[in-house]
Parts: sequence; structure tokens; C-alpha cells
Amino acid sequence: MWEIIILAIVVIIGGMFFGYYNRFVTLSNRIDNSLSQIDVQLKRRADLIPNLINTVKGFAKHETAAIKAVTDARKALVGAKGVEKKVEADKKLESALKTIFAIAEGYPDLKANTNFLELQKELTSTEDKVAYSRQYYNDSILTYNLLCRTFPGVLFANIYSKKPRTYLEIAAEEKEVVKVDFN
Amino acid sequence: MKQRVDFRDQISKNKMKSYFLMVVIFFVILILGYVISMATDPGYFFVIMIFAIIFSISYLLVNFYHSDKIALKSVGAKEAKRIDYRDYHNLVEGLCIASGMPKPRLYVMESSMINAFASGRDPEHGVICVTKGALEKLERRELEGVLAHELGHIASYDMRYMTMVAVMVGMISIISQVFLRSLWFRGRGSSNDSSKAIFMIIGIALAIIAPIVVYFVQMSISRKREFTADASAVKFTRYPNGLIKALDKIGKANQSNEKKVNKALAPLFFSNPFKGAGRTHPPLEERINVLKRM
Repeated sequence: MWEIIILAIVVIIGGMFFGYYNRFVTLSNRIDNSLSQIDVQLKRRADLIPNLINTVKGFAKHETAAIKAVTDARKALVGAKGVEKKVEADKKLESALKTIFAIAEGYPDLKANTNFLELQKELTSTEDKVAYSRQYYNDSILTYNLLCRTFPGVLFANIYSKKPRTYLEIAAEEKEVVKVDFN
Repeated sequence: MKQRVDFRDQISKNKMKSYFLMVVIFFVILILGYVISMATDPGYFFVIMIFAIIFSISYLLVNFYHSDKIALKSVGAKEAKRIDYRDYHNLVEGLCIASGMPKPRLYVMESSMINAFASGRDPEHGVICVTKGALEKLERRELEGVLAHELGHIASYDMRYMTMVAVMVGMISIISQVFLRSLWFRGRGSSNDSSKAIFMIIGIALAIIAPIVVYFVQMSISRKREFTADASAVKFTRYPNGLIKALDKIGKANQSNEKKVNKALAPLFFSNPFKGAGRTHPPLEERINVLKRM
């Protein structure tokens, strides 16, 4: 009888060791994946800019300052290393784009150009996707950190030396901007 | 956000419940087959049982693997191509990133009503279908809320579970109907056997009560899922207002009954496609109130 109980306890504890190890691996993979997703979306956003600039130049050549601001911001985004820096650069690009879109209001031909409209739509929806990928990144970190900090996960986190990760900070005003843009 | 339902719990619960339901459906059919064969002619017991088993297993399998196709076909949905429905695709892609789910296949159905439904046995086989009315009448954020709600259904394996429930309800009502109707065609006086009479009474009682009970269980299950899906929609979008406005619009749009939609599909939809007929969805106002508290 005792043998069976001891065996059962051993099996359960062994199972927990396996289970928690796999859980940690799955969750860290998810974090890495969502991190690269942010990258993918930022890159797609950067790729759309040259087209937009060409279209804008065709109709509003004289707005050199605004156009330059966008190309510079794009360059900064492409050259940025690390997600924090990239997100920072994306923020600058977003505000530069806003100026361009505001200027476009003054050029009826540009405003009515289908190419421009398409690009504007694509850019807003990639901005959406950037925001969502950051949100998912933080969500993944939240689940991972919860596992690291709550019992009994905290025991296994110590055994496997897994440490809680830090969130990607998003400025509050910026989040609002993303939401308002579409109405 | 108060009382947030944890996702993983919901998913494993739904999976377990749907397997459990499959077993239940199987046994319900066995029991009904047994009672009916006892009531009619015990000699046919094995024939009826074998037939019932084959029938129920194939019915379950077909439904498990083809529920999405059946649902899409029955409403005449067409695939939404990316070129024609760019916003629709972009919104769903964004939500998939937010939820870490694979992108479901997207469909459109011809209807001026604002509605949508999701199907598919797991996220890999997910399907979302919206009406043309929804695409035209809803603002971007509202549509996003609706799509997030449908994605929530897919994420929590609601479709698998609800399909199983729908199958069970359908089967039980079919069997009961067949049994009750068969009584009219049989001569009276022929059976004086008392055990036969008892089984006959049990059979009739079962045939009448079972569909009613199952129907109410289905309704209450279905209503609960709607709240969960609303909650996951908010989890994905972090913007309850979109969904609130969409629900509000649906309430004001004075939706007429959708004739093309089979009643059995009602629980799959975003808002009830039928007025007055069994409440598969909680009242819109109640859903809005819950959302406002998030």
C-alpha cells in the first residue's frame, strides 16, 4: 500500500518537473515570437513609406520639410537597434505621417488619389497591427511572469533559473492616438 | 476589468465538455434505441441498436469535421477575397496578432442585417463569416469589436462545443419525433404485454420530455458563451466601446428575421437572427451593461 502511495507521489512530482519545464519553454517561445512579430509589422510599415512619399511628391512637391521629416523618421526606424528603440522611432514616424496627412487635406487632387488613399489605409492598419503586436508581447510576458511569481511555479522558476521579464512600456498618450485615428 | 474569465481554463473546460457531450450523445442514443426497441419488438433490439450506433458515430464524425462547411453552405456564404475586402482582412489580421491565433478563413454572406458567425472545430480550422450589412453599416471600430467577439468564440473552442450541443439537440428531437409518429401507424390492441406497456409509457415520456429539457440546457449554455466571447473581444481590442456601439446599432437597426438561416445555427451568430424564437443570446442591453463595466 505504502509503495503505491510513494510511487504515485514520485510520479506526480516528476510530472510537475516536466510540465513546468515545458510550460516555461512554451511561454518564452511565445514571447520571442511576439517580439519578432513587432519587428515584422514595423518593417512592413517602413516599407510602405517610399511609395507614400512618391505619391505625395507627385502632388505636393513644395512640402519639402514634411516630406523630409517622414523620410528621416523612416531612416531612423530602419536603422534602430532593439525593440525599444524601434518603437521609439516608430512613434516619431507616426507623428511625421500625421503632418503629411494633415497637409494632404489642402491638396484635393492628392486627397482623392486612390493610390494615396490605399496607402493611408494600409499605414493606419499596420499601425493598428504594431499596437496589437506590442499588446500581445506584453500579454505573453504577463502570463510568463505570473507563472514565475505564483506558487508553485515560483519553485520551478528558481530551479530552472527563469526570471520575470520586463514589459515593453507604451506611453499612454500614444495609445490613445492609435485608437482615435480611425473614427 | 472585474471577474475576467481566464482563457486557458475556458478552453480546456470547453474541450472536456465537448468530449463529455459526445459520450453523452452516444449513450442517449443507445438508451433511446433500447427503450424504443423494448416498446415495439424486443426481437429487433440488435438491429435497432447496431443501426443506432452506426448512425450516431457517423453523425458525430461528420459534424465534428464538417461543421464549418455545413454552416457556410447553409447560409450561402462566399469567400471574402483580400482584394475586395481589404479592411475586413486587415482587422482580422490585427486581432489575430493581438490574440496570437492563426488567421481564420473569411467569408461574406448576402444579407442586409448586421450579423456574423464563427465556426470550425479548432483555431486552425477557424472560419468567420459576416453579413454584407455588417460590413456596410458598421464603423471600423465597431466591426472590429464584432470580429473580435467571433474570434473569441474560436479561441475558446466554443464552436466545437456548441456544435456538439446542437447535434445532440437535433438527434434527440429527431429520434423522439420518429418514435412518437410511429405510434400512430401501429395497430392498438396487439400488445397486451405489461412490460411492453411500461416501456411504451417510458418511451413516450422520454420522447416528449427529452427534447424540451435539452433545448433549455442548450439555450442557457449558449447565452453564457456570448458573455465570455464579449469578454475575450475586450481582451483582444482593449476597447469595449467598439463592441458597445455595434450592439447598440444592432438594437436600433430593427433587424428582421433572416429566412435563409436555419434555426439550428442561431447560437453561432453574433446576435440572434430570429425575433421571439428561443433566446440563444442574452438581451443586447444586458450585454452592453456588462461591457460598460469592463
